[in-house]
Amino acid sequence: MVQSIGDIIQIFVFPGFLFLLNYALFAEWLSRKFAARLQNRIGPLHTGWKGILQPLADSIKLLAKEDITPSAADKLVFYATPIVIFALPLASLLLIPIQSITNLWSFDPVISFEGDLILILLSMTIVILSIFLAGWSSSNRFGAVGATRAALQMLAYEIPLGLASIGPAIFAQSLSIKKIVNWQIESFTSFLQSPSLLAIPVWLIMATGFAVFVICLLAELELRPFDIPEAETEIVGGWQVEFSGRKLLLLVVGRDIKMVLAAALLTSLFLGGAAGPWPIPPLGWFIIKTVVCIFILSNLSILLARYRIDQMLYGSWKYLIPVSVLQAMAVIALTGVM
Amino acid sequence: MTEREFLIPVGPQHPALKEPENFLFKVEGEYVVDVEPRLGYNHRGIEKAMESRTYIQNLYLIERICGICSNAHQTCYTLNVEEVLGMEIPERAKYIRVFMAELERIHSHLLWLGVAAHEIGFDTLFFYIWRDREVVMDLLEMVSGNRVNYAMPTIGGVRRDIPSDKIPQYKKMLKILEERTKYYKEVAAKEQTILNRTVGVGVLKKADAVRLSATGPNLRSCGVAKDARVDTPYLVYDQIPFNVITYDGGDQLAQILVRVDEVLESVKICEYCLDHLPDGPIREKFSPLGRVPEGEAVNFVEAQRGEDIHYLQSRGGDKPYRYKIRAPTLANIPSLIERLKGGYIADIPIVLAGIDPCFSCTDRMTFIDIEKEKTWEMTGDQLRRYGIEWYNR
Repeated sequence: MVQSIGDIIQIFVFPGFLFLLNYALFAEWLSRKFAARLQNRIGPLHTGWKGILQPLADSIKLLAKEDITPSAADKLVFYATPIVIFALPLASLLLIPIQSITNLWSFDPVISFEGDLILILLSMTIVILSIFLAGWSSSNRFGAVGATRAALQMLAYEIPLGLASIGPAIFAQSLSIKKIVNWQIESFTSFLQSPSLLAIPVWLIMATGFAVFVICLLAELELRPFDIPEAETEIVGGWQVEFSGRKLLLLVVGRDIKMVLAAALLTSLFLGGAAGPWPIPPLGWFIIKTVVCIFILSNLSILLARYRIDQMLYGSWKYLIPVSVLQAMAVIALTGVM
Repeated sequence: MTEREFLIPVGPQHPALKEPENFLFKVEGEYVVDVEPRLGYNHRGIEKAMESRTYIQNLYLIERICGICSNAHQTCYTLNVEEVLGMEIPERAKYIRVFMAELERIHSHLLWLGVAAHEIGFDTLFFYIWRDREVVMDLLEMVSGNRVNYAMPTIGGVRRDIPSDKIPQYKKMLKILEERTKYYKEVAAKEQTILNRTVGVGVLKKADAVRLSATGPNLRSCGVAKDARVDTPYLVYDQIPFNVITYDGGDQLAQILVRVDEVLESVKICEYCLDHLPDGPIREKFSPLGRVPEGEAVNFVEAQRGEDIHYLQSRGGDKPYRYKIRAPTLANIPSLIERLKGGYIADIPIVLAGIDPCFSCTDRMTFIDIEKEKTWEMTGDQLRRYGIEWYNR
């Protein structure tokens, strides 16, 4: 009984849905504020301390808005896709080690099993497919263009994304995120105890993987240089043009959660997860590291102009995929040496 | 239309268009096959309204044709009225008018640069340029008292003088503008993602540009050195040394570079005006009830977007008998269509924005029934009744 109450708290309150939703809204505020400061603006200001409640206020506003379904839309798909886009990243976050509720210094994920990395990658792919279906089912011309662009863009970054995340998994000899995090902690502590030159190529490979992963995540999150499927000035919001009210709320919050998931994945696969030196508990380290990742993502997203879809595909197949393949091959070669 | 083609309507409401206008794109995948423009969403009947107002009242009506080239329209109007009156305005007024016109050009081109950056999804550049544009807005406010619709030219001269003790401050602000614009020129010419989105995009050939009577920076970006300030000099443009900027290529990068360089030229002209400002009165007297003798006049003014043509016909009295305006955007639309064909959907916003369109200045309205081969016009009341009947049908 105690066990099940603990599970319920873990899933619904902390570090489950309630915490994650709040953190997602916080992440949105953070990235907006950060981007605004870099662009010489002020950003959200009036709701709460320095506008920290702005994403919440936006969400409440969207709840009150009229929810319109186009009469020509494919109703079932049109209703279902926002839920999928919202729910899948949220559920995936339960697989990420954040903080245990029984022990302050441990960070076991809520659910963990061999192969959960594959599950997360799968759910991210399903989200993109849902985006395609959402745009297509809305029966809008801009929606159709946005949907095809989303599907095309997926062809460009899905492969390097998978290859970059395979690197740490091969090093750790496991497809479980928890074990990958443990491998990083172990190798780092053993390096501190007895430094060896063999660590340098490992770190180089991990850094390459990190860079490739960040670029793919920019595309996955539809952030600036790769916000091609929803390009506002070109196709008026693309695949989400027909969504309004509650459905749009699900899309917006789902996107924030996806941002947290992206930052959490970067943290877990490359930055040692929620682990860190003593005085700060794992939750603190998780927040510090994800905030750094969010800063990296939003900083990159304001640096460049938007690519065209053909330029994006070309660049990805010419540079990103070869780099990620080389990275994966180097990992395999290096594990053979070790 | 084949099976693979479908139609995308851009406008009358679309984020890439700041004003209502409709373009019907026939696309095949991501490629644009054909474009059909439709004008007339924002016709305001200014030409007709002018016929029932006195010359002084019209001064303020004509300024409201466009928020951005208000000064150009007003200058052209005053030139027309003065020509019919046979009035020679003081030298100082001419220099102040030129100064205002060039400040307005700086403000308009910087605004356009920001919009262009926004259209290719580079919002950071957009925010930076608009921040620095505030310098010229402040300058305009200090000179005229307003940020837009300055109401500086009036019949017989200008309404406000430039105080000589302010000139050093104005020059300092112009210096800031020059420095920042040079920096943005470097950014636009070197940043790889901007080049990706602008080089070879929306190309207009030189011959096509001339054939389709393009005008302004749209034409000069194709390598044709045409500028009303040089070809038909008005005010004191024949005394001021400046270059007509042209770039070859006719793509969007050329459009950007033409405008950036024109900002730099305008800064130079402004500085020249401040240095060589002659003494004397700033206006001739013209009474608010003043009458204008019979006659007609046509004048060309190089507005920021191209050649602005005004025609005045007077049959005596205190009101114009007929006034005709051709804003530059109307002349640029045929070449815009040529630029859009064969491009990508993703390039529509930057190419549309490329001519710096101002559709409200352009709009006009005539009813045409193709089947009966009939054209007619309607008064406001008739139009309203027609609209009610149409919707009740």
